[in-house]
Parts: sequence; structure tokens; C-alpha cells
Amino acid sequence: MRPLDSPSKDAREAPARAAPPQGTQDLLFEAARRLRRCEAALARVFEERGFAEVIPPSIEAAEVFAESAGGAADALRAVDRHGHLLALRADFTAQVARIAATRLSGISPLRLYYRGSVVRESAAGSGVPRERLQAGCELVGEAGPEADAEMLALAAASLFALGIAPGAARIAVGTVGYFSALIAAAGASHRLARALTDAIDRKDLPGLTLLCTREVPPGKARDALLMLAQPPRPQAEATALLSRAQQLAPGPAASSALQRLTGVLELAQARNLGAELEVDLGEVRGLGYYTGLVFNLYAAGAPRAVGGGGRYDTLLGRFGDPRPAVGFSLDLDALVPLARPA
Amino acid sequence: MITVALPKGRTLQATLDRFARAGLSPEEDFAATRKLIVPARGAQARFVLLKDPDVPLYVERGAADLGVCGLDHVLESGADLLVPLDLGFGACRLCLAAPRDSAVARGWRSGDSGAEKGRSLRVATKYPRLTARAFGRRGVPLDVVRLSGSVELAAVADLADAIVDLVETGRTLEENGLVVLEDLLQVSARLVVNRASYRLKLEELLPVLERVGGPA
Repeated sequence: MRPLDSPSKDAREAPARAAPPQGTQDLLFEAARRLRRCEAALARVFEERGFAEVIPPSIEAAEVFAESAGGAADALRAVDRHGHLLALRADFTAQVARIAATRLSGISPLRLYYRGSVVRESAAGSGVPRERLQAGCELVGEAGPEADAEMLALAAASLFALGIAPGAARIAVGTVGYFSALIAAAGASHRLARALTDAIDRKDLPGLTLLCTREVPPGKARDALLMLAQPPRPQAEATALLSRAQQLAPGPAASSALQRLTGVLELAQARNLGAELEVDLGEVRGLGYYTGLVFNLYAAGAPRAVGGGGRYDTLLGRFGDPRPAVGFSLDLDALVPLARPA
Repeated sequence: MITVALPKGRTLQATLDRFARAGLSPEEDFAATRKLIVPARGAQARFVLLKDPDVPLYVERGAADLGVCGLDHVLESGADLLVPLDLGFGACRLCLAAPRDSAVARGWRSGDSGAEKGRSLRVATKYPRLTARAFGRRGVPLDVVRLSGSVELAAVADLADAIVDLVETGRTLEENGLVVLEDLLQVSARLVVNRASYRLKLEELLPVLERVGGPA
């Protein structure tokens, strides 16, 4: 590189935009080859298990992303010449839900997969790119716990297809229903609910304790909320955690969310996932449209989750075809450097 | 193997004492060595010594699995971290302060920002993010002057109308004719943990967390 203080000899030498926009990248040669090999390995696993590819457009009406985590505000938006507010794809799941609810309405079950990039604003300096490479699957029209377990198993199999060793992968599993029942039972305002979500998400036990003693009336809901910031339990100890949570469940909604999760865990275990499952009822981050099971995938060597997903039973209803669905996506920016696809 | 990020500042000794409870001590004295990474004595761990504001970034990006730094730096960094423990030491307050007889100081209590009408309030600070957040709630138009030290001077030398800075005893403020207008944040040392490490190295981390946060 030239020293920063040396004058440019030629105006053409340093064009105004020499680098791609912040948070995006050029993938050249070997990097491009690696990405394509990973995508191909994933597509093989997805198709073997009966999933078919859809390729949604790279722009959508911005409102399609309204319920995605981060909402439409995190999308890169522009007004077209007709005055329509459009957004670059910010979330595949919302697009696939739109497709399933409109062109594929009434066909159940649907097993769909996708690969490509989403564009979402990310915190400066966090190392999370704005344009993120993803691949993922959605199973539409199946409401039962068997479908949840199928997607957990497929998520684990995807990691293995990329050459991630079973011992190097973990899946943290939780449920939205329990937390939202606690929030309702505690009579929490919107502001308090957000503060509780943030404290639980950050495992901030001191902050959560302070919030609960100040603003949540004593009782089962408060005790259960405090439990959510405790460290997660490996599957071996999950039964103890779940029965403690069950004792503190403030009502039928919380109880049934836990029963459902227990059922899913049993089915997942029967499928022999190969990856370690951890139960964490404090998985409450960026839930957006999720309504039941939620999970995050971790792989040794990546400093953040490398994927995640869950059940979203109300999202398709927004597009006129209320049907249950469950899915997950993988973060290929994080996974490709770790991957050794066959 | 876990990597622990230690803060170079005033809280270093207290931090080392806490990790010693968990049986983790650097095998060389950081004051005596020029090494940047020092293994823990007889344990599957190592220490890196960082400037306090860099701790959250090392931990967020996974170069360290866990670390210790003040809540001020945790929040100012905006880093996406887990913050399971309040270690209690390093206690101080993040405050808004201004010269005693200034318009800002006189007007603040009556709900007036004190800034000349039609002009933004100039606030000098090492904490631009936290400052913007504190004022965002009040709707005061703000001109943040980002400094790297001697923040009190900015208010005295008329670079800014007010300052946002850490206050421990309040003596420096007093000696320079400044008064605290509002406490914005109670600060103490926090243990921060990388999100993925918390999952993937849970078995190694849990005993450390328990002992570092537990009684001596």
C-alpha cells in the first residue's frame, strides 16, 4: 500500500469508490469455489430429504419483512418510480412464506429450500457483514412436534454435510411460548417486556434480578423469569430444568409450551441427531415471527451462532393462507471458513 | 483451552484476585514481562492484557472467550455479549456535569437544557454512544465532542457546555468548578462472555463463572 500522506500521482489511480460498500465483499476464485462447494453440499442434503429449491427475487415490497427480526427498518429500502417502498431481500423466510401462502396455497406439506444473500444493516464494528450469505429450509403445513424434530435433525445434518465434526456442533433449543406466557402472567408493559427480553438474552442475572424485584410482582412468574438467565443445561440435565420450569409455570399456556418442547426433544433424541442439544429457555432474542420452538446452531471456531430457526405458525396468515411452518437458516459467511465439504 | 481478557486499568489487581479463586493465575507477572499472552499456571487457560475499552471487542469476536471490564465500556462498545456477573469492584458513576455557574447548570433542574435557544448542547465525552442515548430520551439536540482524555478541561476551557464522564469521588470535578447534574449510569466491573464460547465451552466456563462470582 502507498503511504497515506503521499500524494496521488494520477487522478485515475484512486477512484472515489475503490472498495465495495462497507460490510460487503468480492468473492474471487478459490473463495467463490469454496462457497459454491458448500452450497452444493447443502443442496444435496436438502434434496435427499425431499426439499425443493425456490429462488425468490432479490427485491420485495418492504412490508413483507415487517415481522422479521429487526423489522423492515433494518432492510435496505428505496422508493421506486411508482412510489412503492421496496427493500433488498432482508429475510428469506418471509419471502418463502409469501410464496407458500400465495402460489403454493393449499399444497401441504411443502418442503422448500433456498440459498443466496440477504442484506440487513448490522452494528458497525461487530464483524457481521451487511450482505450475508445464507442457505436454509422451510417446512410448511405441518403443525406437529415431528416436524420440529425433523428440522432440528436436518439442521444438524447440514452442519455435518459441511464437514463440521459432530463433537464441534451444538444446538441450543428453547421455546417462545414459555417466555411470552411469563410476560403475560407478570402483566409486563411493552417497555418492561423489552427490558426483560434484553436482560435474559444477555444472561444479565444482576440486571434481571433488579428489574424483577422492582417491577414484577412476587410469584411464580417472577421466579420463572429469574430462572431464564441461568446457564443452559446439557440435554442430560434437561429433564430437571424442564420439570423445575413446569413447577413454576404460571398457567396452561406456559405448561403446554413446555410439554411441546419436551415432546420435540424426545423425538429429536430418537432421531439420533449427532449434535449436542442444550435446552435453554432463555433463547429469547430477535424472535420476530417465531411462535414455538426456537433454536440456534453453534460450531467450534465461529464466534457467533452459525444458524438458527424455529416455528412460525402465524406468518403465512399475513399473506392470506394461515398455515403452520417451521424452518431454519445457515450463516454461510461463518460456516464456509470452517467447512470441509466432501 | 479458554482465553481470558484482562483489563490493564485500575481494576487489574481485583480481577486477578477473582480469577485466582477459580485457580487461574498468570504464570508470569504482567508487570515484569513484555509478553502479550501469558499462560495460566498449570491450567488449560491463557490471559491477554488489553486496554479496558478493547475487552468487549476481543470477546465479541471470539479472540477471547471471556473478559472483565467496566459496564461503561460494555455498553459504549455496543458489543453483542453475555454479561452474567457483576463483580462489584471498580464502582463509579457515569455523570453529566457542567461548570457551577453556567446556564446549563442553572437551567438543568428546571427541565431546561440551558443551551442557547436554537443551538445544540455541546457535550464533551469519551462515551459518544452512551451520551447520545442519554440525551435521545430527553429530546435535546446534541453536539457530541469526542475526546480521549482530560474531559473536565473541555467544560472549563469552553470547548463544550457540559461533559459526560466517570465520577468516582467527585474531587476532580469540584476542584475544577464543575457540578454533577445527573447520574446516567452506575458502573462496576462486569464479567463478559462470548456467545458461542458460552455454548461450546460451557463445561470449562461454568466452574470458572461460579468461582469468580462466588465468595472468596
